[in-house]
Amino acid sequence: MTITHHPADELLLRYAAGATDEATSLILATHLALCPICRDTVADAEAVGGALLVSGHPVALKSNALESVIARLDDTVPLPKRPKPEPAPATGVVEPLRSYIGGSFDDVRWNKITRGISFKPLFKSGNARVQLIRTKPGQGVGLHTHRGEEFTLIMTGGYTDVTGHYTRGDLHSATPDILHRPLADEGEDCIVLAVSDAPLKFHNPAVGLIGKIFGF
Amino acid sequence: MKEEPSTLSAQMSALVVLVGERGDRAAFAALFGHFAPRVKSYLLRLGASSPLAEDLAQEAMLSIWRKAALFDPAKASASTWIFTIARNLRIDAIRRERHPEFDPNDPALVPDEEPRADARMMRDLDDANVHAALAKLSPDQAKVVQMSFFADKPQSQIAKELGVPLGTVKSRMRLAMAHIRAAIGKKT
Repeated sequence: MTITHHPADELLLRYAAGATDEATSLILATHLALCPICRDTVADAEAVGGALLVSGHPVALKSNALESVIARLDDTVPLPKRPKPEPAPATGVVEPLRSYIGGSFDDVRWNKITRGISFKPLFKSGNARVQLIRTKPGQGVGLHTHRGEEFTLIMTGGYTDVTGHYTRGDLHSATPDILHRPLADEGEDCIVLAVSDAPLKFHNPAVGLIGKIFGF
Repeated sequence: MKEEPSTLSAQMSALVVLVGERGDRAAFAALFGHFAPRVKSYLLRLGASSPLAEDLAQEAMLSIWRKAALFDPAKASASTWIFTIARNLRIDAIRRERHPEFDPNDPALVPDEEPRADARMMRDLDDANVHAALAKLSPDQAKVVQMSFFADKPQSQIAKELGVPLGTVKSRMRLAMAHIRAAIGKKT
C-alpha cells in the first residue's frame, strides 16, 4: 500500500499540540494508524510539546500534593506491559475509528440515499461533522463544492476526481474552491471517513436532497 | 554495568522505566518533583483554574504510575510522553472531548517499514536537542508554535490576533516543523 496524499505538517503539529477538535483528531489519528511516515512527524511534534513542557516555569503544587498522590498509589493498578502484536493482514477497521463504529464496516447501520450511495453520521464536534460515506464500485457522488474545509480519508476501495486518485489511507483535503465529482473505482465498495465544517453544496438541484441529508 | 544517563532528559526516562519495571516509589517521587509543577504550569497557561490545574496535575502523576510499563524510551523522552498524558487529560476535562489516537498494538495498524524504523533511530529526541531546535526558529515561527501548544484557539483566531492571513499562519507552522525536523536529525 502506498499512501500519496498526506495531511499537511501544520495540521499534524496542531494534532500533536492538542489543538484540533475531536472530529479532525479522529480522521488524523486513523490516517496515522495507516501511515508510518506521518507517525514520525507527529512523534517529532510531540517532542516539541515535551520540550515546551519542561521549559515552562514550574508552579508549585499544594504542600501535601505528593503525600496525597502517594497515598492513592495502592489503589491505582498499573497497566501490564503489552506484548508486541503479531502483524495481521490489513483488513478490518483500525483504531481509533474502531472505538467509534466497531470492527466491521458491514455491521454499520448504513442509511441508503441512492442505489449507489449510503452514509452514516457519527458525531459533531464544534462546527465539524463526521460521517462515513459508502459508494458502490463505479458509482459517483454528484458534482459538488464545499462550503468549508473537508477532509476525506479512504478506508476501502478508492476514487478519482479532477485532483487525482485516492486509495486506502490517503487523506484528501478539499477546500471551497474545488468543484469535483468523485467516481468510485471498480472492484470493492469505496468507504470513506469524512469530516466537514459545512454541508456539501451540490450543483444539481435534483440532488439537493442528498445535500440536506449529508448536512444532517 | 549500565551507563549512568548523561542528560536530565535521559535521567527522567530512566526513572519512568524504574517505575514501570518495579513500581519504584522513590523514582516516582523524583518524577513528581520534576514534572508535577511543570504539568501544573502547562495547564494554567492553557487557562485552567488553579484548583483544576492542581487536580489534573495530580491525576497526570497517577496516570504516569499506572501507565509507566507502556513507556518506551526508544520512542520518546519522558517529558514527551508526560506531555501527551497532560494534553489528553486537559482535552478530556476542559474541552470534554477525546483526543483519538492510534493504538501501536492494534494488529490492523500498518507497521513501520524497516527503513522507517532506522530513520527514527537517526533522530535525537533528547529534550535539550529539541529545545535547541526551537531556539533556532525565527520569532514569527516560534510564536505560532507556542500558540498552537498554549493558546487553545482555532487557527483563524490566531491569525486575527497576529494580524496576518490564515495562510501565513499555516506556512509559518509548516516552515517551523521543517526547521525543527531538520535540526533534530542526528548528525552522523
